[in-house]
Amino acid sequence: MPKKLNLTPYLFLAPALLVIGVFILYPILAVIYYSFTEYDIVTAPVWIGLKNYQQLWNDEVFWLALRNSFVYLLVTPILIVLCILLAIAVNRKLPGINAFRAIYYVPVISGSIAVGYAWRMLFDTNGLINGALLSLGLIKESIQWLAEPALTLPIAMALTIWLGLGYYMMIFLAGLQNIPEELYDAALIDGCNGIQKHWYVSVPGLRPQITFVAVISALAALEVFNEIYTLTGGLGGILNSGVTMVFYLWKQAFKLQHAGYASAIAMALLVITLLFSIVNIRSLERGTEQE
Amino acid sequence: MTAAQTPAVAARRRNRQRHIAETLFWYVLLLFIAAITILPLAWTLLTSLKGPHDAIFSVPPQLLPQDPTLDNYARVWKQLPVGNFFLNSIVVAIATTTLNVLLTALAAYPFAKMKFRGRDTIFYLLLATFIVPPQLTYIPGFVLARNVFQYYDTLVALVFPNLATVFNIFLLRQAFRGVPNDLIDAAKMDGASELRIWWQILLPVIRPSLATAAIITFVTSWNDFLWPSLMLPTMTNKTLPVGLAALQGMFASDLRATAAGIVMTIIPILILFIILQRQFVRGMTGAVKG
Amino acid sequence: MNRKLQFRVSLSVLAMLLVAVVALAACGAPPAPAAPAAPQVVKETVVVPQTVVAAQTVVAAQTVVVPQTVVAQQTVVVEPTAAPNPEAVIPNVEPNAEITLWTFWLSPTFDDYIKDTIARFEKAYPGVKVNWEDHQATFQDDLKNAFAAGKAPDVINLSVSEGWVSDYATKGLLLPLDDKVSQDVKDLYFPGLWNEQIVDGKNYQFPWYQGMNVELINMKIYSDTAGLKLEDFPKTIDGLPALCKTIKDKTGTLCDIRLTTNDLLAQMVYEGGVDVISKDGKTFTFDSPEAVSWLQMYVDMVKAGTVDKSVLVTDQDRVGLDLFASGNAAFYQTGPNLIREVRANNPGLYGYLAAVPAPVGRSGVLGKGLMSLSANAATKFPNASIALAQFFTNPQSMLDFSKLVAVYPSTPKSYDDPFFAAKPIAVEDSAKPIAKDIISKYADIVPTIPHKADVNDIVLQAVQSALFNNVPAQQALSDAVKKANALLAQ
Repeated sequence: MPKKLNLTPYLFLAPALLVIGVFILYPILAVIYYSFTEYDIVTAPVWIGLKNYQQLWNDEVFWLALRNSFVYLLVTPILIVLCILLAIAVNRKLPGINAFRAIYYVPVISGSIAVGYAWRMLFDTNGLINGALLSLGLIKESIQWLAEPALTLPIAMALTIWLGLGYYMMIFLAGLQNIPEELYDAALIDGCNGIQKHWYVSVPGLRPQITFVAVISALAALEVFNEIYTLTGGLGGILNSGVTMVFYLWKQAFKLQHAGYASAIAMALLVITLLFSIVNIRSLERGTEQE
Repeated sequence: MTAAQTPAVAARRRNRQRHIAETLFWYVLLLFIAAITILPLAWTLLTSLKGPHDAIFSVPPQLLPQDPTLDNYARVWKQLPVGNFFLNSIVVAIATTTLNVLLTALAAYPFAKMKFRGRDTIFYLLLATFIVPPQLTYIPGFVLARNVFQYYDTLVALVFPNLATVFNIFLLRQAFRGVPNDLIDAAKMDGASELRIWWQILLPVIRPSLATAAIITFVTSWNDFLWPSLMLPTMTNKTLPVGLAALQGMFASDLRATAAGIVMTIIPILILFIILQRQFVRGMTGAVKG
Repeated sequence: MNRKLQFRVSLSVLAMLLVAVVALAACGAPPAPAAPAAPQVVKETVVVPQTVVAAQTVVAAQTVVVPQTVVAQQTVVVEPTAAPNPEAVIPNVEPNAEITLWTFWLSPTFDDYIKDTIARFEKAYPGVKVNWEDHQATFQDDLKNAFAAGKAPDVINLSVSEGWVSDYATKGLLLPLDDKVSQDVKDLYFPGLWNEQIVDGKNYQFPWYQGMNVELINMKIYSDTAGLKLEDFPKTIDGLPALCKTIKDKTGTLCDIRLTTNDLLAQMVYEGGVDVISKDGKTFTFDSPEAVSWLQMYVDMVKAGTVDKSVLVTDQDRVGLDLFASGNAAFYQTGPNLIREVRANNPGLYGYLAAVPAPVGRSGVLGKGLMSLSANAATKFPNASIALAQFFTNPQSMLDFSKLVAVYPSTPKSYDDPFFAAKPIAVEDSAKPIAKDIISKYADIVPTIPHKADVNDIVLQAVQSALFNNVPAQQALSDAVKKANALLAQ
């Protein structure tokens, strides 16, 4: 007698799967289709084959956006190093340490749009940074921070790092607190000094957290938009200096109404994210095998 | 190892001196980092309190307002429906969070505790969609909003696509897995239905994980910008971040008002953070263990 | 660990799926070869009328704090027409129409005016209901998304000077008005304004409030520090580079000059006297010597470090105004209507304001109109929408508006009111007596640009690379022409 199919699990799954199907899986298929069409969202898409991809291949701005997105990935190692150091710094019993931790956490919850605009005020030609540098005599005349193509991306990356410090610090802190005290004692007995002890105990102990932060912050870096939007006033910076993959996707789709072309950009983004995640997970598996 | 062979007494004395120096060092360092962290926001707050005769830009910079005022806040409040922005953000965040946690908790249960055909396939396919950049879905999402669901320019447009997230399913599945099977079996003996077990027995047990999922969802929804900016053209329908972008242009020539607007969008979530600080931190960091 | 492995496997599955789909699609349609058209330079003589009317007449008020002009007279007599309400001039308005109006940056300052005018409109056309909404910085983004979503408003306030009317009209999103509006109604407007934004031979807008480009001067910097005289302010744009150099040397401040980044070709036409496209509309020609020399002027200013770079290439007029209002720029070209912003944000600066006529470009044409009202091509109530757009731009509404703020009517009749003959007191009003003469000369000399948004983006990249990346102006423009012509060839 064939076993009756139990419907219960499927009923539990149905609502969530429906949502994900409609809002993630269907869009992927739709974007694949749109990427072979000329489409302005208003009128019906027209099939044009590989033309969007050919155009993409010859589009300097796309390559620049790609380059900028890869440069942006530098925030990941910087964040990991800074946040581990910060976590080590706050992982001690000092009076008021909780207040410090809370302060470091404030940018995380403030939201990138609000904080982005706050940074824009700081870096304004007539902003605090110029005022401070001028009064310290470090510069002779105001610098137009946000109008320097070479500075757009570094400032945006600094903002991303600044926004993430508290969050990733907390993750590493939680990890540090899970490392048994005996390991440090053993290291001290082995003659490790303070720095060595962290290198030999803390860092290996934090491996799961490092992996997590690497994956999450790299995905976030590939998808960065808000920082660029606020700092460049929605323009992407002079000479497209701040244009990243997602910013370019948005500009093509919703500013220039080339949804078909933007879909081709989206496909490129998806492929890069995929490759990147595979590499990331490979290296993480290798890491765990070593242990 | 020769270093360990120093006489114990001398070592203790040296340790005490070093301890004081070290503590001092850490405080200076922590204060310095705190200054960097807080400076942009503090500057914004101070700017927002400056009166018309306080300089925004001067050499050296004037930090404190000579003639502090709340006029800038009044001006922003009067000219923009900031009250609506608040309400919209709250409604969207609460609706998204409640429904999302409910739906993902439903879906996570069978993945953790039931055997059924296609379980692993479905699960890993879901997991793979985790890396799909959300911005990729915005073009079809726009078309859906216009042609299928007809919710363009309504708050529903912000809630609907976020009703279930793979991340939360994964997180809650881990939590359900930690619940001993005996608990479920005992309930089954009593003749409870799966839905009842899920609601009455399991959900209370995994409450900390539910809080984690809720907080992550809430903060994400609260700070979401790109999708809401595509969906909400009408001023009174905008959420705080989208309204802030509109304000940024509106008061372009008025940095005091812009600063006031920034502060006004940060304050509510900051208050929430101060009240729920412990849960926040546990929530935002708890995910990594999952 | 098993979980991670399987995660990886599922990733690979997804990747393979993708590859398969791409490969499948590749067999679809063969790509059409793009035929690059050789750029063709068409020489053409442009009649350059020497318009210097404005120069002598605008009086510059200097360092006097003056009360804002008080409205004394009201009522302009509007000729009654056959319709029951004299202002109801559009026939066949749909009964029970409910229409939406979007304005650009008028709330909250003009809430009362807009609401009063709507109330008058609803009285003139009983049964029509108007919902009004104002948008500011996000206007363009909101509108584009609303059009894409099929939820665009029925009546839209578009800027002619920023090129928005042509943006939307070329995409077929606006309602052509020529056949829908009687000659009597067309005659209410200055002919130059009615025809100020013709796209493929059709008009899509009712000219609304007009600006008069003036150069606002911060006398504290311009005169007190730099020691310059108002009457020496350049009469043509060719005088700007030298002026900026002087100001930079003497005061250390940068020039507050803005390119119209959304409509660069139009700016080339007015400022540089450039023929941007061939007569038959088939080839772009904006790499001519005139164009290169126009661009080179800006390149030189950037190289000399005398202009504010972020203002130069912003798409928001407000960014430039912000710099001026903060008291850190010697002058800014804007409409007198925005003097109120300076007054509100920096009361201390207001006393130092003066205004002179804006320098004229090499085309010699004073400029084109500022704001207009257009109807959505997809509106359910075309006649009601046209009626509303017309109503807001009729002589009475225009006069009322002019009395509130220094804007100028598009309708000759409004100027008959004694209000315009009254002697100006405030700096905002200095252009009032000559307004009619100047506004009546506004004209559209920009040809229709196909693929306008894309071409503008190409030109913007070219201009930026010349300004900031040391690409020679000629090369930048020639490359841009090539790219733009490739679009035409498609």
